[in-house]
Amino acid sequence: MISLKIDGENIKVPEGSTLLQAAEKAGVEIPVMCYDDRLDHFASCMVCMVKSRDSGQMLASCSVKAEEGMDIITGDEEVFEARKASLELLLSDHTGDCQAPCQLACPAHMNIPLMNRLLGEGKVDEALQVVQQDIPIPSILGRICHAPCEGACRRKTIDEPVSICLLKRYAGDIGNLQHVSAKTVNQQALKKVIGNKKVAVIGAGPAGLSAACYLQRAGYQCILYEKSDRAGGLLHLAEVMDDSYPEVLDREISQILDTGIELKTNMAVDKDLFEKLLGSSDAIVVATGEIENGIRSWNIESGKNGITIDKSTYQTSHPPVFAIGNVVRSVKSAVRSVGHGKEVAASVHQYLSGEAVKGYPKMFNSRFGKLREEEFGEYLKESHPGKRMEPVAGQGKGFDHTEMQEEAGRCLHCDCRDLHTCKLRIHADRYAANQRRYKGDAFKPVTKVFVHDAIIYEPQKCIKCGICVRLTALHKEKYGFTFIGRGFDVRIGIPFDESLEADLSETAKEVAMACPTGALALK
Amino acid sequence: MSKNEIDIHTEDIASIVAGLGTEKRSVIPILQAIQEKYNYLPEDALRSVCEMTDITTQQILGVASFYSQFRLEPVGEHMVKVCVGTACHVKGSALVYDALRRELKLGDDVHTDSAGKYTLEKVNCLGCCTLAPVVQVDNITYGHVASDKVGDILHDFENSKGPTGKSRIRSMDRKEIDGEIRIGLGSCCVASGSDKIRQAVEETVQKRGLHVNLKHVGCVGMCHQVPLVEIVPAQKEPTLYAKVSPDKVKSIINKHFSPPGLLKRIRNKLTDTIENIQNDGQWEGIERYHLDVREKQVSSFLGHQVLIATEFRGIINPLDIDEYIHRGGFSALGNVFRNLSPDELIRSIKKSGIRGRGGACFPTGEKWEAVARQDAPTKYIICNGDEGDPGAFMDRMLLESYPYRIIEGMIMAAYAVGASLGYFYIRAEYPLAVSRIRQALQVCREKAYLGQNIMKSGFSFDLNLFEGAGAFVCGEETALIASIEGNRGFPRLRPPYPAEKGLWGHPTLVNNAETFAQIAYIIRNGSDKYNAIGSATCKGTKVFALAGKVARGGLIEVPMGISIRKIVEEIGGGVAGGRAFKAVQIGGPSGGCVPASMADTAIDLESLSAAGAMIGSGGMVVLDETDCMVDIAKYFLSFTQKESCGKCTFCRIGTRRMLDILERLCSGKGEKGDLDKLEELAGLTRKGSLCGLGRTAPNPVLTTLRYFREEYEAHLEGRCPAGRCQELISYSINDECIGCTLCSQSCPADAIQFRPHEKHEIQQDKCIKCDSCRQVCPAGAVSVQ
Repeated sequence: MISLKIDGENIKVPEGSTLLQAAEKAGVEIPVMCYDDRLDHFASCMVCMVKSRDSGQMLASCSVKAEEGMDIITGDEEVFEARKASLELLLSDHTGDCQAPCQLACPAHMNIPLMNRLLGEGKVDEALQVVQQDIPIPSILGRICHAPCEGACRRKTIDEPVSICLLKRYAGDIGNLQHVSAKTVNQQALKKVIGNKKVAVIGAGPAGLSAACYLQRAGYQCILYEKSDRAGGLLHLAEVMDDSYPEVLDREISQILDTGIELKTNMAVDKDLFEKLLGSSDAIVVATGEIENGIRSWNIESGKNGITIDKSTYQTSHPPVFAIGNVVRSVKSAVRSVGHGKEVAASVHQYLSGEAVKGYPKMFNSRFGKLREEEFGEYLKESHPGKRMEPVAGQGKGFDHTEMQEEAGRCLHCDCRDLHTCKLRIHADRYAANQRRYKGDAFKPVTKVFVHDAIIYEPQKCIKCGICVRLTALHKEKYGFTFIGRGFDVRIGIPFDESLEADLSETAKEVAMACPTGALALK
Repeated sequence: MSKNEIDIHTEDIASIVAGLGTEKRSVIPILQAIQEKYNYLPEDALRSVCEMTDITTQQILGVASFYSQFRLEPVGEHMVKVCVGTACHVKGSALVYDALRRELKLGDDVHTDSAGKYTLEKVNCLGCCTLAPVVQVDNITYGHVASDKVGDILHDFENSKGPTGKSRIRSMDRKEIDGEIRIGLGSCCVASGSDKIRQAVEETVQKRGLHVNLKHVGCVGMCHQVPLVEIVPAQKEPTLYAKVSPDKVKSIINKHFSPPGLLKRIRNKLTDTIENIQNDGQWEGIERYHLDVREKQVSSFLGHQVLIATEFRGIINPLDIDEYIHRGGFSALGNVFRNLSPDELIRSIKKSGIRGRGGACFPTGEKWEAVARQDAPTKYIICNGDEGDPGAFMDRMLLESYPYRIIEGMIMAAYAVGASLGYFYIRAEYPLAVSRIRQALQVCREKAYLGQNIMKSGFSFDLNLFEGAGAFVCGEETALIASIEGNRGFPRLRPPYPAEKGLWGHPTLVNNAETFAQIAYIIRNGSDKYNAIGSATCKGTKVFALAGKVARGGLIEVPMGISIRKIVEEIGGGVAGGRAFKAVQIGGPSGGCVPASMADTAIDLESLSAAGAMIGSGGMVVLDETDCMVDIAKYFLSFTQKESCGKCTFCRIGTRRMLDILERLCSGKGEKGDLDKLEELAGLTRKGSLCGLGRTAPNPVLTTLRYFREEYEAHLEGRCPAGRCQELISYSINDECIGCTLCSQSCPADAIQFRPHEKHEIQQDKCIKCDSCRQVCPAGAVSVQ
């Protein structure tokens, strides 16, 4: 046995153990990417660095063997910064989106590509379920949204953006959540009320409705105060060239209220009532729309544009009080208000659970600039050709089923297939890495290789860890992956440009699963 | 290209494989043989190899694409190689390369001309730094190439093609010789035309029936004066002639030797007279190059030098083993076998204080001891001759000139550590070194200095030769070993050190060629004598390749501890052309730039590392006031970025990002904060890289930032004070213009209108900054700002 110190703690490990294994024994988690316990050590990514206290040297813990008397630091600032820098360097040469640009542009952060794919497969009910996670009023927004997502759509660079808004409308109009599972999302929420915590939401416009909806789904009893005689606020004033709008409005507002929200109409909140609510509720969400003089007397800090909040949590100067929508800053965008509502629900939940209030969790996202012409063909490989569909029945009527499927198929699948498992993303998030810190002159152009029926290869996402090379060698594939070239231009390729089919006859899935990024992914 | 359709005959591949073996380790020699045959690596040939051997497709392609020697695409009939080593770079090789691109009319990303005749490529270093800038067309080397003369080179090459005459050396009976004529046949001499000199000498000697001994000697070291011919009449003082041209050979020989017999003398006199009348130049042009060793110039070049690794420089014939023995060769080995146990030998080496000459300065004795200590039946030793520093050529010269000395050192090392087999690892870019070593090994086997029971000592040892295929990183010992084993030159973590687990997993001693070349001296003269040479911490001598803007470049061997100033000013004769000495770049891509203000820094481990540089392998490039330090940093980073094996993040991407910043600076697109970011990246790359290449790659950046920060700041403002960075300078014609139109004629971009007898003007929007006008202007009327 060898004894050494990990962060000051004495550890004994068998001879031949790596520092990574020793750290594990000490209960210290070290990030790794190029390491795979089936394979020989390689020491490529350098994300697993630790520091020797004596020499100050950085060591790749996945490969350096523990030696008697070593004194290892795994987590001081220098180690943190060095790991972060290695992640930032890798990211500077990593061309790819994590979440798609449309999703990042959507104020409600809706998972648009997934919706598109489900619609394209004709799975309308499942698509609606995806939409509902971020937008509780798809049919309404499908008619009135100004659709910033379409402005960010990569397809726009090639020809015209995917008609996302109308697709969402289709999901909202035609989809039926009850078909997805026995209970709708909203009904499931009814069972979950936690304790007896109450949240007062002031204002039943899109922001207030959304906040109440997601809080109720999370298990809080919401009381929605509305000064007029009906819920909906500005949604009623939208100019829509569609006769079905009033009906749709009623339907979706009712669906939200059906989650068990207590709506109190004709109930203007003044200073007295506000103070009373502070006593009777566990938290308050202010979503009154404009900022009236009355609100300024509520003892909550406000500025020229509206109530002052912490931008990432919507918390006001008075901790139990949160504020969203136009009362914070008048933008008059329904989808933004809906997004606020969803996000504030997360903050309120954190607050009421006694956790630190951090706001809606936002993951790291790799991004790159606009598509370049040489990349068009690569992206079009997995989408329908042709221009944006216009509904034959007229813009006001929306798509029919065939049009919908055709249009949904135009989506380029910009989002990464390994969104939730990519180690680069997970570590980049944890180390707050900045992809632009060491930006180069230009990202390498994206290519997508689609020949295998099970996996897809996107070389520009590769971090050259060599796991696929070592794994295919281990399995003695006839044409395994190999390193080609050297230096900055080294890449992972297949000998003689053989097809991926020939290359990975046996190990396709295994290799895709082992790839630490989305470079090799299951289709 | 017509060359595209090459017929691959399986039998040809089979015979290559049969000669080299079917094991994985044979992959590099097999690829070299295939390329030798087809001039590139045809895919079908590689597929055949995989079918016939244990070599996998993964391995063969990974290896073929790793080493720069290998080409996966067909090339033109002739290779035009532009050396972009450090010395060539500072003397304008980029302009030469651009000029060749224009001459061959190559489009973007195209390297072969439309006729498929010439393929243009950049090479790291041809090892002829004193002739910079250098261009090689097939096997003909052109030195001092100016960018406006590239057309002449191709023209000359066209004319000189065809079979060269067979050697006609007269074999002489030693007893009747009147003297000796020594011709330098190091790579520099050969490149500068010594082969033609050799022909001329042979012709003259033959014609006149002179009884002289013709002798080919290795590198003389005075590479700035090549080609060199030394005349040593019997019982007289030797005379050294420098920069000799073939037409002067006869006159030189006549001056020193009289032909036998009166009749012959008269006949010769007569023809000479006639020729002299025709040529009208008796001694002129030769005296100018006549060097006397007692002359001040030469004595200061040689005066500060101490010859150990290069003992008998310019005297000894590289391959003449009898002469080597006659001058004390193999006496050290005999002494070791007779009187020293392996332990005692190691103790002597330790006592001498010698450190490894490869760059890291690790004490040699300790390294030997570490291998000797291993209890293993099989051990190896390797001579590292993979000289990758683009400004260095010491190993090449040592291998070419003193093959037996290195072999003797290796046999002693093998005896000390208990190895029975060794390897020479030599860059394939050094064909002369490879062939000399190959011949020397053959001779040693014939004379029983290699093989069973060497010198009847009971000790057996043999040596193989492995040609490196072009990768700077293979100078790193673990990468070198990976390369011999038939893999990509990926370094691996140490420990375990090669001393414990090296080649094929066996304990292995890896020493640099220069280290081995010093062993015999230590044994012959004693550890104490060696230990007395040098500084307090660094003992003995170091061979440097002195090049760049120095008046007298060449190969020098100096005692450790000598100051930079002595080397540059006294040995090198100061900066050429009356310009100001700015800095000296020591240690190549791993080293740094020491400014002129610190010229008193001593050449040893501590002083140089305190200055941010390192001895490295021994490249020393002198820079003058026209050299831009940001450009120098950019030059080295573009080198390391290409040469990085690509394995670890910091070296692969960190060096690239540093280069991005430097490129921005040199093109006037620097951003605020770039210098801090550069420093930060340099620090991170130094700390976070896996091997020595990455850890030292930031040194050129860090030292230039440290000593020449104001130059970086000027670039941030869009100025290049040295007038180097193309995008920050402009050319114009001043009032000195005499209206000769030469500039207009030489301009490849039509940026200068043809206006005889008037002052010319450069149209800035057309100017491509190729420097042609400035080079051709007889009046110095082209200014650069």
